Amino acid sequence: MAHQQQQGMDSALFERRLRPVYDNLEVGNNRKALQESEKLLKKHPTLLCARALKGLSLLRLGRYDESHGCLQTVAEEKPTDDSTLQVLSFCYREMEQLDKIVELYQHAVKQNPGNEELLAHLFISHVRVEDYKAQQAVALQLYKAQPKNAYYFWSVISVVFQGIRGPESAQPEKRKIYLGLAQRMVDKHIKEGKLETEQEAFLYLHILKLQSKYQEAWEFLTGELCAKLYPGAPVSMKFELLKELGNWRELNELLQQLLDADRDRWDFYKEYIQSSFELLKLTSKAEENGERDSLAKCQEFLQGIIDSSERKKRGPYLARLELHQRMRADQLPAEKLVGDFDEMIIEYFRLFGDKSCCTHDIALFLPSISMKQRQALASKLLLESGVTSTSLPKNKEQMQKHLCALQISRMCGSHMELPVDHLLAFYTALKLHYEHGRSTFGKKLLSTEMGPSDAYALLAANVMYDLSRRENKSDYLFEALCLLQYVLRNSTSNFHVKLLSLKIYHLFGCQVGAQEMYEYLDIKQIQLDSMGYVHCQLLPLGGRFSGTRNVYDATLKFFTNSYKERLEYIALTYRFCTFSKMEEFMNFKERLTNSLQYVACSVEAQICDLVSCYGNIQQNLTAYSAMSIEPAEDRIAWHELSDNRDLEAVIRWDPLHEVDAAEERKESFDQEVEVLQVRSLMLRLFASFVDLYHGTSSKDAPAGKETATLELLRESWTGLFQRLRLMNYKPLAQKFLVNLLPTRLHLLLELPYERFFDDLAQLVLDLQSGSGKLAEQCKRVGDNVITVMELCVQTINESNECNGMDGLWKRRQHQQKVAASLEMLSLYAFLLSVLNDKLQVSSKTKTKKRQVDNKVDGTQPISEKERSQMLQELVRQLKHKLESCDAAIRTWKAPVLPRDLSSFMSDMSLKPEVEATLIGDVSATFKDSHELMVPELRNLLKDKIRMVAK
Amino acid sequence: MTTLRPFTCDDLFKFNNVNFDPLTETYGLSFYTQYLAKWPEYFQLAESPSGQIMGYIMGKVEGHLDNWHGHVTALTVSPDYRRLGLAALLMSFLEDISEKKRAYFVDLFVRKSNQVAINMYTNLGYIIYRTILEYYSGDQDEDAYDMRKALSRDVNKKSVIPYTQPVRLEDIDMN
Repeated sequence: MAHQQQQGMDSALFERRLRPVYDNLEVGNNRKALQESEKLLKKHPTLLCARALKGLSLLRLGRYDESHGCLQTVAEEKPTDDSTLQVLSFCYREMEQLDKIVELYQHAVKQNPGNEELLAHLFISHVRVEDYKAQQAVALQLYKAQPKNAYYFWSVISVVFQGIRGPESAQPEKRKIYLGLAQRMVDKHIKEGKLETEQEAFLYLHILKLQSKYQEAWEFLTGELCAKLYPGAPVSMKFELLKELGNWRELNELLQQLLDADRDRWDFYKEYIQSSFELLKLTSKAEENGERDSLAKCQEFLQGIIDSSERKKRGPYLARLELHQRMRADQLPAEKLVGDFDEMIIEYFRLFGDKSCCTHDIALFLPSISMKQRQALASKLLLESGVTSTSLPKNKEQMQKHLCALQISRMCGSHMELPVDHLLAFYTALKLHYEHGRSTFGKKLLSTEMGPSDAYALLAANVMYDLSRRENKSDYLFEALCLLQYVLRNSTSNFHVKLLSLKIYHLFGCQVGAQEMYEYLDIKQIQLDSMGYVHCQLLPLGGRFSGTRNVYDATLKFFTNSYKERLEYIALTYRFCTFSKMEEFMNFKERLTNSLQYVACSVEAQICDLVSCYGNIQQNLTAYSAMSIEPAEDRIAWHELSDNRDLEAVIRWDPLHEVDAAEERKESFDQEVEVLQVRSLMLRLFASFVDLYHGTSSKDAPAGKETATLELLRESWTGLFQRLRLMNYKPLAQKFLVNLLPTRLHLLLELPYERFFDDLAQLVLDLQSGSGKLAEQCKRVGDNVITVMELCVQTINESNECNGMDGLWKRRQHQQKVAASLEMLSLYAFLLSVLNDKLQVSSKTKTKKRQVDNKVDGTQPISEKERSQMLQELVRQLKHKLESCDAAIRTWKAPVLPRDLSSFMSDMSLKPEVEATLIGDVSATFKDSHELMVPELRNLLKDKIRMVAK
Repeated sequence: MTTLRPFTCDDLFKFNNVNFDPLTETYGLSFYTQYLAKWPEYFQLAESPSGQIMGYIMGKVEGHLDNWHGHVTALTVSPDYRRLGLAALLMSFLEDISEKKRAYFVDLFVRKSNQVAINMYTNLGYIIYRTILEYYSGDQDEDAYDMRKALSRDVNKKSVIPYTQPVRLEDIDMN
């Protein structure tokens, strides 16, 4: 304890001495921080905080073992001073050893019982590991030490969580006990007049609702105390309780009052209409009372709002349509009571068609009418817009109406049946409308605004995709891409245009263009998770490796940071006693850490690194070890993987009857998870090959078990492929432009991935055991290499041939196949270099070791020298095949772009020089993309040739 | 036609149609979580009948004594849902909450160049309280207007007597 007293006396002095260490750590100068801490420790060898900081510096420098030892000795001294504890818990958080923080503070509290600050830290350390029971105990100690409301409610919420989230929450009787206890705790507090804040009031209501005590909740919510403490209680709480209580009449009346004051609230209208339907059920039972039909009253009320509003709001009109729709669903006479549906839609269109949200609004009601009625309605709206095939919109409002009518027609399926020449004429008209709108109404556009007529061009791009798809050629879509790029020059902030362009670039395998659009979108922070799918998922096997890695880096940086921070967010809700957000934060943490995007990017980045290795064998192995792949350990929580994609961000007006967004989401997600299965297993299997020769884990394994992991993974590998073939997944439908591109699942199944790695597994095993079948296995692997090389060469030939007809339509597939071939060969090259290194070393040292394990059947294993020779042969062969690939890639031609585009935009009032640079720029992007890819792939091959030549 | 509801963590995954707007900043997670944890009722979202996010407002309440006030940190509306009075709805929600919390006024900062926004706030009853020099840093620093509107608790409207001279951020006490 001596040094602690010393510290107490001179804390200001030590604070000053420690400062340089902190400062250096803060700016990331870890080496200097280490030096400073060592300097300080020379003078004051017992200064705990300095030792802890030394541990942190070592940790940051990646010297894990030393750091570990250092921190361990500090922890063993059971420190109690805040700064040392802070540094230690910071380190443990970084290392994800959260239970050590608990221990740390437990010791500290034991030595300083009743210390508020230490107890609070101990509480938060329990929060991090979600130990609700321990939380409860510490919170009560805290309350005893310092009777603050916060601490009391920390214990209340800890009891609640034991009932609804903890290990016992699955048992109904336990749940009941915990929730009952929590309620009594708050009841007692209320009785003593100690309830103070709105979050406390919220928590009480929450506890009552969890126990289905709705009447009590209602009384509390409408009582005096709640009004005083929680004046901002959302009115939706009242709805919820009245619904639970079946008090439809009161709900109905409450909503009428609310709607009178606030006439544009969809949440109110929705509840109001529902309550009217519920009341109808009641009245039909008690019709003799002579009560008027609640739906008639509802209609009257809505009409009253419409009639008495000076400024037209969408609310009551949409509500009336909703009433109509719901009545039809219940086979009630909607038309008689509310009116003619088509006329109501047309009226709505007349009033609000000039707002861009009108399309979304009308679309809500289309699924409830027949296809025939939809298309008839779409024609009526077009007529209503007043723009015909021979006239142009007279003002911005009319143009917006026209756009809305066109979007609705597409949603109603009106474009799908049109013949090709019709669609082409339609496209030309859209293009003209775009240009007319831009030059007439878009002149004074701010750089932050979207052009008023941009939506014409977006629609045009969709139409051109339909055409391309129908005819299986790229011309139309390429033209659409040029149009979009033209729009982007005029309205630089239109993200819809960027998203569609990004999609088209990917579809045509143009990674440079895609990357440009991705950067232009400025996707960052959490968008890297929710929007990353538009780019990241399409990069692997897209044809490039190094560019891909940079995109992953940015994404992974976001994820690692948020992973580190994830528990601190939850701690924050405790600090501010925000009980209403705690569960939400916990669920959010789960969603973020289990993001498919996160896991997939990590795996792809590792594969990418292994494929692109270019150093000497020692460097490569060091890089490999730093990746710390644990083949035996499946670190992915497969059942928790979360789909965080914001698929709705990409705007679409595709025919409603052909779109099933939920199904599309599910299908693509399922397939992406399967792709991840393949990729992560491939990575682990490959790592098990390497580890058998260079790993540490196989050395630890008991004799004869070194190959257990490898064999197990190999079995999973073939099992996985077998299952995937049986599952019979269909490639994602490519019906519309905004559909997600096919996942790599079918590519991985079609190409010889399975056999390639399965045979490699056998080769690695045979080499190790010196099996008599080694020569045979070498032959098999060699044949696979030939197959893969031929795949690469043939694909390139095919791609070159395609140039004669259509250089773009199949470009992406071709690039994928070439990239996949090179991926397999590159990994193989890495493996051979590892095996070769090992066998050469061991055949030199072999003479000293006597082979003792004679096989039972008497056959001698093949000598190491022979094995080495066979390996040499494989190396020679691979080198040769890599050269063949290189020769083919050298002949790979840039995609020839579709027909002459000189007529493109001739109808527009464009200056010829604008036109020339535009098409020139788009074409150059494709050329650049190819010209970047080819040397990159050739460098990759060159590296591999060098790697095996050594 | 709008549903107003508290902004939740899950909305962070779905707000792209709003946040792709060039004037809307996408902040780091800790920024959002701090607001959600500290002032949950000040972070509200407007949702369309089809379930799309139309816009949201993010704010806080802080200050001592007669400086206790609501503050608008971010207000944004998706391009598809403009000219519907949504910003006004979200602002009135925040003012309402601030009234309930017995705040004296509501304030906000806006770029001096953002005339559209300044007009809107003026129409909602906000005045330019003072100019803060070089508040926005970037390629070119920009001044901000600190705009204010008094709430009912400030009976004498003391909070909205404008400054006569521009100030620097470091010269004013934000609390």
